Amino acid sequence: MVNDVTNIAYLIVALPVLAFVLTLAFGKKLPSGGGYIPILAIALSCIISIMAFLQIRETGMPIEISSHWFAVLNVGIFIDPLASVMLLMVSFVSLLIHIYAIGYMAHDPAKPRYFAETALFTAAMLGVVLADNILQFFVAWEIVGLCSYLLIGFWNHKPTAAAAGKKAFLTTRVGDVLFMAGIVILFFNMREHVLPHISGQEEVYLLQFKTIFENIALIPSQQLTLITLLFFGGAVGKSGQFPLHVWLPDAMEGPTTVSALIHAATMVTAGVYLVARTFPMFIAAPDSLMVVAYVGGFTALFASTMGLVMNDIKRVLAFSTISQLGYMMLALGMGAVIGAEAVGFAMFHLINHAFFKACLFLCAGSVIHSTGTNDLREMGGLFSKMKITGITMLFASLALAGIGIPFLKILDTPIGTSGFVSKDAIIVEGTYVFAHLSHNWIPFAFGVIAALLTAIYTFRLWFMAFTGKPRQERHPHESPFTMTGVLSVLAAFAMVFGMLTFLPFLEFVGHTYDHEEIHHLAVLGENTIIDHHELHHIVGEASPIIFLLPVVVGVGGLLLSWVIYNRRWISVASIGNWKNPIFAVIARRYYQHEIFIELIALKFTYGVLALSAEFIDRRIVDGIIDGISDFVVGAADIVKKVQSGVVQNYATATVAGVALLGLILTFLSITEVI
Amino acid sequence: MSFTCESLIPFAPEIILVIAALSIMIIGLFMETSSKKLLGYFSVVALLSSTAIIIAKGVYEVELTGLLAGSLSIDPMSQFFKLTFLLVSLLVVIASIKEFEEHSNQDEYYTLILLGTIGMMLVASAVDIVTMFIGFELASLSTYVLAGFNKNEPKNIEAAIKYFIIGAVSSTLLLFGLSYMYGLSGGLTNIDELANFFSMNTELLISPMGIMALVMMTAGFGFKMALVPFHMWAPDVYQGSPSVISALLAAGSKKMAFVAAFRVLLVAIIAMKVEIGILFAILAVVTMTLGNVVAVGQKSIKRMLAYSSVAQAGYIAMVFVVVTPEALTGGILYVMSHAFMKAGAFITVGAVCYVLLKQNSKAQDVDHIDNFAGLGKRSPFLAFSILVFLFALAGIPFTAGFVSKFILFLAVLKEGYLYLVVIAILNSALSLYYYARVVKYMYVLPPASDEKMSVPTPYVIAIVLAMFGVLAIGIVPEPFVNWATSAAEVLFY
Repeated sequence: MVNDVTNIAYLIVALPVLAFVLTLAFGKKLPSGGGYIPILAIALSCIISIMAFLQIRETGMPIEISSHWFAVLNVGIFIDPLASVMLLMVSFVSLLIHIYAIGYMAHDPAKPRYFAETALFTAAMLGVVLADNILQFFVAWEIVGLCSYLLIGFWNHKPTAAAAGKKAFLTTRVGDVLFMAGIVILFFNMREHVLPHISGQEEVYLLQFKTIFENIALIPSQQLTLITLLFFGGAVGKSGQFPLHVWLPDAMEGPTTVSALIHAATMVTAGVYLVARTFPMFIAAPDSLMVVAYVGGFTALFASTMGLVMNDIKRVLAFSTISQLGYMMLALGMGAVIGAEAVGFAMFHLINHAFFKACLFLCAGSVIHSTGTNDLREMGGLFSKMKITGITMLFASLALAGIGIPFLKILDTPIGTSGFVSKDAIIVEGTYVFAHLSHNWIPFAFGVIAALLTAIYTFRLWFMAFTGKPRQERHPHESPFTMTGVLSVLAAFAMVFGMLTFLPFLEFVGHTYDHEEIHHLAVLGENTIIDHHELHHIVGEASPIIFLLPVVVGVGGLLLSWVIYNRRWISVASIGNWKNPIFAVIARRYYQHEIFIELIALKFTYGVLALSAEFIDRRIVDGIIDGISDFVVGAADIVKKVQSGVVQNYATATVAGVALLGLILTFLSITEVI
Repeated sequence: MSFTCESLIPFAPEIILVIAALSIMIIGLFMETSSKKLLGYFSVVALLSSTAIIIAKGVYEVELTGLLAGSLSIDPMSQFFKLTFLLVSLLVVIASIKEFEEHSNQDEYYTLILLGTIGMMLVASAVDIVTMFIGFELASLSTYVLAGFNKNEPKNIEAAIKYFIIGAVSSTLLLFGLSYMYGLSGGLTNIDELANFFSMNTELLISPMGIMALVMMTAGFGFKMALVPFHMWAPDVYQGSPSVISALLAAGSKKMAFVAAFRVLLVAIIAMKVEIGILFAILAVVTMTLGNVVAVGQKSIKRMLAYSSVAQAGYIAMVFVVVTPEALTGGILYVMSHAFMKAGAFITVGAVCYVLLKQNSKAQDVDHIDNFAGLGKRSPFLAFSILVFLFALAGIPFTAGFVSKFILFLAVLKEGYLYLVVIAILNSALSLYYYARVVKYMYVLPPASDEKMSVPTPYVIAIVLAMFGVLAIGIVPEPFVNWATSAAEVLFY
């Protein structure tokens, strides 16, 4: 029985890949563009993931399969608790999004391509999750990037969509190059320092996570810091952290279902997963963890300010994703003091976020589907027309804003929406404990202020879309059942998943890494981490204000939004006009466009680097190349003349060749002998 | 030495082919043209059973020497090459079923391919210079006829005649060289004995007669390997012959020369103990450079492939410079990889030509690069296959071409021939230029006509098999490398 899942684990990835091939080949001839094939395949993947989860929980042993590839490399599958929860989330959310897409994409003529690409996207993400070595991880990671390019630019006849696809691809590529550099440096370190210790052992492969983690002590610490920073560079690109977040808002150009896939189940979580997956390396390089924490915290705050001023419903959600991913990175960075607990918090937020963000995006999709616009200013009063969408979106918004009841705990579990449970854990048990121990309150401040802003922009969106008077003449209608059904499921998850699974989840994911091992690695990095009991002790003694704060800012934000956007006691125009310098700076997205595109990209990269490179290229390199190619073409002409087609000449050449060889050989033998 | 039936058992694969070849010849006399297609299927069955026997006997650790009066032996080296030849013939026969469907002399065609294959297999096993020469001639004579098989096409006839004349000159040179070895050694024909003899009498090899022998043999093998300056027949013949026969020549009979040269020349070089690496270094560099440079300007795809084939022979010839087991492993692996890549490329081009001719029977120069414009739209399958084979030839990772180039170049580098590796890599880069140009034509340029191309099934099967080989070696290289290593060890231990 036990071996069952181990033997079929490969199907988790293989089935969606098969679905990709089948849909691409036969989709045109099937109903719904073959959309049912990926649904079936991903449903089966989901079932196998559940079986894997149950097996791991029962036996406490990870699922491992590895087979030799060549030389010191292997291909394999490794499912530990961390990978297991990711698998569950990715396959389940992706399944729901695929079902929803049957309704959402019903009128699109390119359905087969859509479903084939999303199937491959899901397969690649599942491949990232269960890779047992960093190289395989990277290959799947790259396929994720490729699919994102294809899907964001899915409506490739729209120039903005094509440009957004390119932007996503190129921006994440910056991160990918860093990641790859990290892998290369890791490989050389492993070869130099670790290989002598493990050579001769059977079934040991250099880039396998297991081998890497077991031998971290052998890698010099500066090298380790460099490698982990480069890995984090990859994560910054994929997970849209500052400053490589610029692709994510534009990624809205794809179909909304693709946005939901990218923002909830696949792609952006890959970066967080990368840091969580290689956490033992990070814990031994505490400097890198601090970088992770600050970049994450700053991103959480920075992106939430921008969420405030966006008018495109999907862009608001995009900035909220960036901000929430920042929270996850912040949580992981807190691992510098709380150890492997941080992985549990970050993953828990990741999973909760997947549910409520998928729900929010699909609600947004439902709204766009029925109103035909993305612009919040053109919506309003939708609630009476779209009750299910409105309610589900409200639930998801409550979760995103982290609304819950402080102090009330039943069976040690906090009571509140899932966003409350996980964000609260990050702020209190992560950043507060960090502040308590190091007297550094900056991460805590990042977390709390971002929480306030999150609540404001979330409800700004909801109030603007669903309440008030319709601002434009439209005929909204509720979406079909395939869409609303999925919304209801996701909204239910957004409300209760956090409460129901908090403790078991942390306990289960806590088995991913051996705590003593992590402690040992922290000592290696000249860093001390506290254990579980100490953490509880510190949290237990914290002042009530700490507990109150996240909820207070959440509710406060909600009320503020209500005052401004629903009651309109404060005029929106008095804040949101271009005379207000703060609004102007934020609404212009901190002049990012000016800085990134015009200053860095155009002025510096193009003006200075590219033009000077072009000069060198045209005058010098091209000169050489042209010279070579002229030479080659000229030489080819001469040889062509010799190649006359007259067979006598060929025979002559043969005999001449013999004579020439004879001369050379004679010469050689004479010089050798003498 | 007594001759018994049992001594023939190890040669069951060859005997099956002999029986098949002769039966096809006889049965064909009594068959209608329309039903002669069956003979093609029959050849496929014969080749498959022959392949199956070789695989069943194991290819890693077979070692039977002194067979048939010491003239033949079965070892990993021979099995590796036999399998290569059989697979190439299999691909060629499968692809031919459609191409020669309406030809009235199909029976002769299949007989000749099978006989040619037997000749090649004989060379792979031969450890006696006379046996080797006979195998060589059997393969050559069959392919002379095959090159001119479309009697009504002047281009075919021209190709065949050129091939035959230069082939005859080269055979003479080869035989001349072999006879000098025979004379110098006082009557030895067995390669092992010759090697022993000459390693004890090195001065004989560097005497004028010994040098002549070596030069003549190099020229004789060089003709089949298409080393510059013995290559001049190759572009004309590859271009003029039917594409499937070009595949057989480039992937089969050319490789036969490599196994013969590995067995004779390499052993002679080892025995010589004189540093003549520079001679082969010159040959290799000139061959690869000339092949690539001339390929750049070609408008005919088949001619371009012919020159690329010349260039690839230059890479493999580096084995004669760096006489180490690692280099030979790379060379042997390269031979098999190249067999798949080149056979696949020629067969795919053949399929394109076939379909174009079918659509317009008066078309001239169907393999002109202009006819490949927009192929990606007209036939995604063919365009993608050509893409894979060309990228493999250029040595893009995850293809057989990359793996074999990597191992070969690394082995050359290990012996300190940095300049050779640099030249070879520059050449590879140059080759990418003309391969990529074809890809540009197929995918970027607009199609010459919007007519879709439907590919006959036999071609599809052959192309898919070849592509499978190319990708299998590229993605899971280890078993093939081990196999090539054990083949290489035959000559060194």
